[in-house]
Amino acid sequence: MLELDRLSRRYGDVVALDDLSFAVRPGQMYGFVGTNGAGKTTAMRIVLGVLEPHSGEVRWNEAPLNQDIRREFGYMPEERGLYPKMQVHEHLVYLARLHGVSGITATKAASDLLEALALSERASDRIESLSLGNQQRVQLAAALVHEPTVMVLDEPFSGLDPMGVDSMAAVLRARVDAGAAVVFSSHQLELVERLCDAVGIIRAGRLVADGTVDELRGTGAPRYRLDVGAPPGWTASLADAVPGLSVVEDGGRTALVELPPSADDQALLDAARALGTVHQFTPVRPTLAELFRSVVAEPAGAERAGAEKAGAEKAEAA
Amino acid sequence: MSRPVSFREAVTLVARREFGQRIRERSFFISLLITLGIIAVVVLLPRFSDFGSDSYDVALVGDSSALEEAVSRQASVADVEVSFRSVSDADEAERAVRDGDIDAYVDGDSVVVDQSLDSSLRAVLENAYSQVEGARALESAGIDPAEVSAALTSATLETVTLDPDADERETRGAIAFFGTIVLFGQLITYSMWVAMGVVEEKSSRVVEVILATIPARALLAGKIIGIGLLGLVQLALIGGLGLVLASALGALELSGPMITPVLTALAWFVLGFAAYASLSAAAAARISRQEDLQNVTTPVNTLMMVSYFGAFYVFLNQDSPVAGVLSIAPPFSALIMPLRMARGDAAGWEIALALALMVALIGVLVVLAARIYEGAVLRMGAKVSMKDAWAARRRVSP
Repeated sequence: MLELDRLSRRYGDVVALDDLSFAVRPGQMYGFVGTNGAGKTTAMRIVLGVLEPHSGEVRWNEAPLNQDIRREFGYMPEERGLYPKMQVHEHLVYLARLHGVSGITATKAASDLLEALALSERASDRIESLSLGNQQRVQLAAALVHEPTVMVLDEPFSGLDPMGVDSMAAVLRARVDAGAAVVFSSHQLELVERLCDAVGIIRAGRLVADGTVDELRGTGAPRYRLDVGAPPGWTASLADAVPGLSVVEDGGRTALVELPPSADDQALLDAARALGTVHQFTPVRPTLAELFRSVVAEPAGAERAGAEKAGAEKAEAA
Repeated sequence: MSRPVSFREAVTLVARREFGQRIRERSFFISLLITLGIIAVVVLLPRFSDFGSDSYDVALVGDSSALEEAVSRQASVADVEVSFRSVSDADEAERAVRDGDIDAYVDGDSVVVDQSLDSSLRAVLENAYSQVEGARALESAGIDPAEVSAALTSATLETVTLDPDADERETRGAIAFFGTIVLFGQLITYSMWVAMGVVEEKSSRVVEVILATIPARALLAGKIIGIGLLGLVQLALIGGLGLVLASALGALELSGPMITPVLTALAWFVLGFAAYASLSAAAAARISRQEDLQNVTTPVNTLMMVSYFGAFYVFLNQDSPVAGVLSIAPPFSALIMPLRMARGDAAGWEIALALALMVALIGVLVVLAARIYEGAVLRMGAKVSMKDAWAARRRVSP
């Protein structure tokens, strides 16, 4: 299990990570989401040892990380980086060998990966001659070629076309199913929702939500979509009848309402039926995007601190 | 499927990549060809400018076997080449001179030329003529022709050289001087390649991927070793092919004493490169864009330029005390000591001291450069100050 334990990191006076903790199990795909500058890249760079935390530590199977353990890790940095003049296949073999893979195994692993990512034809082309999308696939291959047990991928899907996303997702899924632990950051929340077994939401260097997608979606106040055959204005009567009910959307016949967490949904249904024929009564669970917006919405003071940090982090990364 | 990579293996892998990638680049062969071309021109130039000055075509009119023999003998003594053209009479000889087919012809007691008689040919012809005429006069006075001939041919002056190696030493000095120019070119080019390689890794961000797997020092060491080996191979090719070329063109004789200066230059290249490449790598690690390279490598390049001009000075003032100091003080010794060693001017203790000081300097520079490199190479963006780089060294993972 990969554990990030109370990581803190400052850039000058600006706090980039503040007691950040979460864990990723083998066989788990962990989505790491947060606004720009929330600290995702900082956290990932610390995991890979490219940056030192000011406090806290990262452990793999209870042991603090060192160069030898990190050898088993695969890393795709936010700023893509490969030798522009090297050939694709040769480059992958080189990286695998730096990770301690034997020459023969590395050659085969690189060929297999290029096949899976539909890049076999470009194997002997120079990296710089590839399109950006293809360079990105090679970058992913570079993170996977030594068959890492842990993969840390910073925005692996940004800038890819849907086919690229699918082939990359399939490759990652296969690795996860084979027992690897994957952490990736993304702003594409639908994608995270679809791919990930667990999600962490980071805000201003702190983890504000952590759990499986189902758990997270279940934590919010329950919402229901109602379609009632009653004259417009029925929602006001409903709100009067059910204590604590709030109307989120009022569309005349249909409405979206939210109950307080402890309330009884059968009481809501009874109240609605008292007003007219109930055509629809559906529990609505928030999407990850909605959840994300509600979780990262924060007081103005904290917002400003986050923005400053964003600036500092970008300056460091630029 | 993987096992731990030792520091040495990491260095080897990096070095092999650097060497393998760069030897495939066209610029490697182009620069090799250009350097060999320059060597060929330098070797050939003096031959072109001398052309025709020591080889003559001459005709002798009438019965001339005695004169011809005497001319041949004088020509070989004077180290000029004289070939004879047979003519039937003076008219034909005159035509040949006018047309420029031959340089001169001798008829009786006069030598005929078109415009002027070259001084070395004049000396050869005059000596031969007076020898033949003298012998004839002695013969007519009743002295045995065989004795006359023996007496005349045995009476030659033998040259005794007090410094018999001077010629060879001059040649070795010249090779070494030319070697210094090539050495300077190699040092500055290959140190620049190290600097450019460091910045390329930073600007392409590949350094983050690499340093997630191996220590910064392994990357630095591998880069310097790989590029340095390539420089050494190219220098050996230049030296070897240069010597072969020069001997094929007859400029020098390929022998042990001529090869030594080339080997010395190779050894000093290794030392000089270790020093300058460390400095260049540390300087380059502070920046993230190729455009800033000139800015940070100027001090290193200036140091090399100063050594280079020092080498010129030493070549022209071989006996000055400054030459002795410059050839011992590192890092200047890398360019200047090979020059003095080739001429045999440097005493054994001077060479030993120069080597010891250079190795000591390299030891210090490598440690300093590695620390600056480690502290700066992962910091992107603006130029990293020396102070920050020194202080911000990444803690080495256990």
